[in-house]
Amino acid sequence: MHSEDLIHRLAADLRPVRPAPHPARATAVWLGIVAAVIGVAVLVFGLRDDLAERLAGGFDLPQIIAALATGVLAAFAAFQIALPERSRNWALLPLPAAAAWFATMGWGCLQDMARLGPEALQIGMSVPCLVFIAGLGVPLTVAMLWLARHATWLRASPVAALGGLSAAALASVGLSFIHYLDAAAMVLAWHGLSVLVVTVLAGVLGPRLMRSGHPVG
Amino acid sequence: MSHASVPACRVGSFNVTLGEVSKAATATERDARDLRWSRMMAAAQAGDARAYEALLRECLPLLRAICRARLRDATEAEDAVQDTLLTIHRARDSYNAARPFRPWLVAIAERRALDRVRSRGRRVRRQLPVDAAGEIASGEPAAEVELDARRAAANLRQAIEDLPPAQRTALRLTKIQDLTLADASQRSGMSVGALKVATHRALHALRRRFGTEE
Repeated sequence: MHSEDLIHRLAADLRPVRPAPHPARATAVWLGIVAAVIGVAVLVFGLRDDLAERLAGGFDLPQIIAALATGVLAAFAAFQIALPERSRNWALLPLPAAAAWFATMGWGCLQDMARLGPEALQIGMSVPCLVFIAGLGVPLTVAMLWLARHATWLRASPVAALGGLSAAALASVGLSFIHYLDAAAMVLAWHGLSVLVVTVLAGVLGPRLMRSGHPVG
Repeated sequence: MSHASVPACRVGSFNVTLGEVSKAATATERDARDLRWSRMMAAAQAGDARAYEALLRECLPLLRAICRARLRDATEAEDAVQDTLLTIHRARDSYNAARPFRPWLVAIAERRALDRVRSRGRRVRRQLPVDAAGEIASGEPAAEVELDARRAAANLRQAIEDLPPAQRTALRLTKIQDLTLADASQRSGMSVGALKVATHRALHALRRRFGTEE
């Protein structure tokens, strides 16, 4: 088939589409959705009683701020690279915040160890963390993939992975308001594992999901 | 836009003035063209098929120039142009008229041309020197071997052309262009499962046609 004939066919097949929003606007919409979902989760499960005390000292506040920054920057980066002409380097944007997030958790582990000795590094089971972050992170990732669906045919995998990272990081922030998990090693292990699982799942399965929700043509 | 008059006022040399006027005029033309393309794309996003067709036809020389700069083979370059056109069509919602149109278009064309370069590289790496091996094995003169190979290739091409469109697409992407299933799925819009089934059916049909099926 000649390219000119292909153009004629594509034009005959044309349907109206809604143009992609600016990344800042898309990020704002995304954060609105996340705030609503986490707000509902807080209403259902209730804030932890000692939240104010926890935020006043220790590693919780820096950890939450770093997780929030990771979630926001990952979302902004996802919406940036969802546009074909934007540099792929935008994908690096959340990495410093993510590194700071893990560093705050690591620092918390060291502080706990100095206070409590090696026992502080014992890691027990905390399935609720995984369930909460995955339970909120996966549907939020789907919402992100829908918002970034215009990336389906070009950079679906990195967009989906960044979307998953954003969703999981923000779900982790929500979890910090609700769940009683004080040992830094546990937070590092379970929050870290959950975020990793959601990010990898999003990167692997996200493109398929985007294609199924984005009709050809 | 008044770029054309500015350089003429500022420079002293007549030759330089002409050059700068010419450059400014070219820049002005390009700006005007980019603005027109942005408007046409916005109209296309709203469903205006005539604007869309006119836009793609106007962009075709640019797309060909980009793809030919990456791919020496004219057929491969034209295939890359068509991949680009398909991607533009599918990803047309990723353009926003508030942004310049040309970088968006160029990015997609560059990406699809590079995809072609990569798949061609994979193909070349996996190719064996079949002609030479055939000649050595049979002892036939090179011309006859080549003639037979050409006939076989022509027959195979025809047989592929005769396949149903979905099978033809699946076979081309997965076996001829040697894309991964994920890439082929992204390129064609077919699911991985549908690609596998269509490829299997295409191979089955070709084996039946050439009498090589057990």
